[in-house]
Amino acid sequence: MKRNHLCLKTTGLLLAVLAVLALVSFPLLSQQALDRTKIPPAGKAPVFHVPTWTKATLTNGAELMVSEKHDLPLVSFSITILGGASQFEPPDRRGLAGITASMMSEGTKSRDGEALSNAMQMLGTSVGISIGSESGVLSFVSTTGKFGATLDILADMLLNSTFPAEALERLRAQRLVALTQAKAQPSSIAGRVFPKVLYGTSHPMGQMVTEESYKAITRDDIVALYRTYFQPGRALIMVTGDVNPAGARAAVEKALAAWPAGGSKPAFSYPALPAPRPATIYIVDKPGAAQSTFAIGNPGPPRNTPDYFALQVMNTMLGGLFQSRLNANIREEKGYSYGVSSSFAFGRGPGAFRTGGDIQSAKTDAALIEFMKELRGIAGSRPVTDEELTTAKDALIQRLPNTFGSVAGLNGAIATLWMQGLPDNYYQQFEKAIAAITREDVVRVAKQYIDLGHLAIVIVGDRATIEGPLKATGIAPIVVLDIEGNPQTGQ
Amino acid sequence: MLTIVPRIARLALLALVCCAAVQKPPADGSGAGSDAIRIPFENYTLPNGLTVILSVDRTTPTVTVNAWYHVGSKNEAQGRTGFAHLFEHIMFTGSGHVPYGLHDKLTEGIGGSNNGTTSNDRTTYFESVPSNYLESALWLESDRMGFLLDKLDLAKLNAQRDIVKNERRQGVDNQPYGRVSEILSHATYPPGHPYSWDVIGSMEDLSAASEDDVKNFFRLYYAPNNAFLAIAGDFDPAQAKAWVAKYFGDIPRGKPVTRPSVAPVVLASGQRLVYEDRVQVPRLYVQWPTVGEKNDDQYALSVLGAILSGPRTARLTKALVYDQQAAASVSAYQGSNEDVGEFLLMITPRPDHSLTELEAAADAIIDKLKSEGPTADEIRKALAGEELSFLRGLESNLGKAMQLCDGAGFHGDPGHFRTDYQKSQAVTAEDVKRVANKYLTSGRIVLSVVPAGKLDQASKPAESKKVIIEKTPRPEVQP
Repeated sequence: MKRNHLCLKTTGLLLAVLAVLALVSFPLLSQQALDRTKIPPAGKAPVFHVPTWTKATLTNGAELMVSEKHDLPLVSFSITILGGASQFEPPDRRGLAGITASMMSEGTKSRDGEALSNAMQMLGTSVGISIGSESGVLSFVSTTGKFGATLDILADMLLNSTFPAEALERLRAQRLVALTQAKAQPSSIAGRVFPKVLYGTSHPMGQMVTEESYKAITRDDIVALYRTYFQPGRALIMVTGDVNPAGARAAVEKALAAWPAGGSKPAFSYPALPAPRPATIYIVDKPGAAQSTFAIGNPGPPRNTPDYFALQVMNTMLGGLFQSRLNANIREEKGYSYGVSSSFAFGRGPGAFRTGGDIQSAKTDAALIEFMKELRGIAGSRPVTDEELTTAKDALIQRLPNTFGSVAGLNGAIATLWMQGLPDNYYQQFEKAIAAITREDVVRVAKQYIDLGHLAIVIVGDRATIEGPLKATGIAPIVVLDIEGNPQTGQ
Repeated sequence: MLTIVPRIARLALLALVCCAAVQKPPADGSGAGSDAIRIPFENYTLPNGLTVILSVDRTTPTVTVNAWYHVGSKNEAQGRTGFAHLFEHIMFTGSGHVPYGLHDKLTEGIGGSNNGTTSNDRTTYFESVPSNYLESALWLESDRMGFLLDKLDLAKLNAQRDIVKNERRQGVDNQPYGRVSEILSHATYPPGHPYSWDVIGSMEDLSAASEDDVKNFFRLYYAPNNAFLAIAGDFDPAQAKAWVAKYFGDIPRGKPVTRPSVAPVVLASGQRLVYEDRVQVPRLYVQWPTVGEKNDDQYALSVLGAILSGPRTARLTKALVYDQQAAASVSAYQGSNEDVGEFLLMITPRPDHSLTELEAAADAIIDKLKSEGPTADEIRKALAGEELSFLRGLESNLGKAMQLCDGAGFHGDPGHFRTDYQKSQAVTAEDVKRVANKYLTSGRIVLSVVPAGKLDQASKPAESKKVIIEKTPRPEVQP
């Protein structure tokens, strides 16, 4: 990188750009009528209307929302269940929710698994069922003409699944193979060890799926979870696309007439977090690895924190964009990585702040120094420029219309409000809330939510290459973990 | 033999007559719902050879610009593998009037996005922005098409070289099974064949790329006569045309581009390979050379893939994963490049089931299909999802812009998506049987990837040659 280009990132970008252009571009002007040095100005901002939706409550207590979008003959349908594996899985049965969801494609009272699959293939669509950490979803996208028939199949899976025992054994065996493979994959290893280090094994967010937990799951566990979990009292049914509210409601009432009332929204009461430990580097050895996979962070605030908008602006500046501080430095300027980023896993519980990426092994220590420098920087040691603040806000505000661009995107955007307990006018208020954030807010939330003294620094890489240099940085003491995230014995 | 000159000339003529033409529903009444297979567009060619394609959709106030260059890894010289992709990175380092960083500022910094991708056959750059930023997006693309070399220097090249090497480490060297693709390409195609190396290239070749390589590559391949520019989304066509003329019109035409001659590959006999990797679970890969985008057999080969794997009723999936429960997963699909293609089978075993056993089991299923052919129901199921997939693709400006450019660049017709859909829907059981027999022959590469030190886990280990990868990731086969 040329030095004058680097300057642009830390000073007012546009002013510096104009200064550079003034120096280099005049010779061209004499030959060309077009002045290419002028950045074409933006046109008048397009008018964007946030989509609207109707709300109703079905007789069984499920909520129904419908939002129309008629530009293409497509419909997106979803039933979102509030609460997920973190609320409904026993600690010694991690993986149960995922297997239960898969078992619902294995057969119903009137159709076996192949018949279900054939029926969906003929309609050209497929029903997806999954249960995540804090919510579950049954969903599909279909053409308008196939909406009713696909909905009938989804209802059959939701209401009449039979959970054949032999299917459980097959799914279990497949998952055990996938788990073995995941343990050879550096980013999967980091994805398993990082939450365990952050939350500990007595917190649902720190519990991992293991061979033992998969092997412990019984058909009775599955049936019990299914009965407890899939209840309309905690469900949102969302229909978006080429439908009208009355027609959608009639179709849903008819298809789900046999879904009995019951269930309530979970409280999302998580156990207390473990006492924060002083910042520590946790090395997971991956002999011969060409790169070191970094996951640095700490537990974060829930989605309903009043600091949400300030955190979004702060994170966008730190590691949310290509030209954010972390990537501009560690990828573009230093060339240590193909890309680094940062994020907050906002939800009902204390989702993690996490930054990291894959770093060339020989640059592991140098990269960690830069990560720490940028984390200190955003917390005040490197002032936030006007340019950075404006870019972060513009990026967040002006990407909003894209959220609603597809029927599935529209569905998800509205369902998210319901899942996170946000107001209906959230998207209308979004611009104002982001615009109000000041640079003082940015520094304050960086200090408050990125705990530099207590960071967990997980690095999956070639211990023989990286341990000495990491130690020499003096950033934090080193603990070596095995790929399960347990302290390695005999180190 | 493919050369670009005739196709460009034909496009230029075509443009004059089909400006403002909107794709109409087919008159042949082929299949219910096929009138949904529609992307309104118009196209024309500038005097400098740049093909322009416009597709208006005002649903969302955003617009995508896609600049598509007919150059990819197959145009690289031996000893310079990975260069087309390295060059793609250089295109983001600033150009004559656009300092480094401004491109991101005027895309992701205003709520949009940008990226570039390189394949064997083409390199494409796109910006998706709020619709009032269309003019600056066109300015950005035109500046790097016309003035990239004004600001190029060795420091920029070296910085991107490091980043691309990191990309290779992340995507290939540090990934379990990450080297499979280049081992298979190297084994399937003869030395020097334009498809015998992978897009990412080798570390040595990336190190060797010089500033002159960059300049020569740019001058030849990044001229407007080798480029296609699509604009899709919320814009006024008259205004867009004026801006395109303003920013791209004075970029000079380049020399005619000579395409590499790509010989079709038929393997006279099979080859069995085994590669030791840092994996815990072995895997079997079987690759057959087939045909590319330009050969209509690709449609039946794609249907063949859908009949063999995917849903639980697909033949290989049903037999290996469900009935025999010998595999954890299986996939089989046709991959089509511009000039060549491959049919690739991949099987991950369950514990206590050997790759030898799984290879034999898969062959038995494939042989049965070759002798009986598929059922009418299997064909129907394989094709039923295509309309929905197409419609969902229309929800994205980028998806549309890419389809239009691929059609124009590879087939001389931005509306090729319709031909593609019709030919695919017309595939019969007889077609599938025929291509299965024609291509899934004994002329194939069988590659076992096994955990280090576990060569005995290969399929037919005694007959398999060990793949040695020295420091250079160019695979060498040792007997």
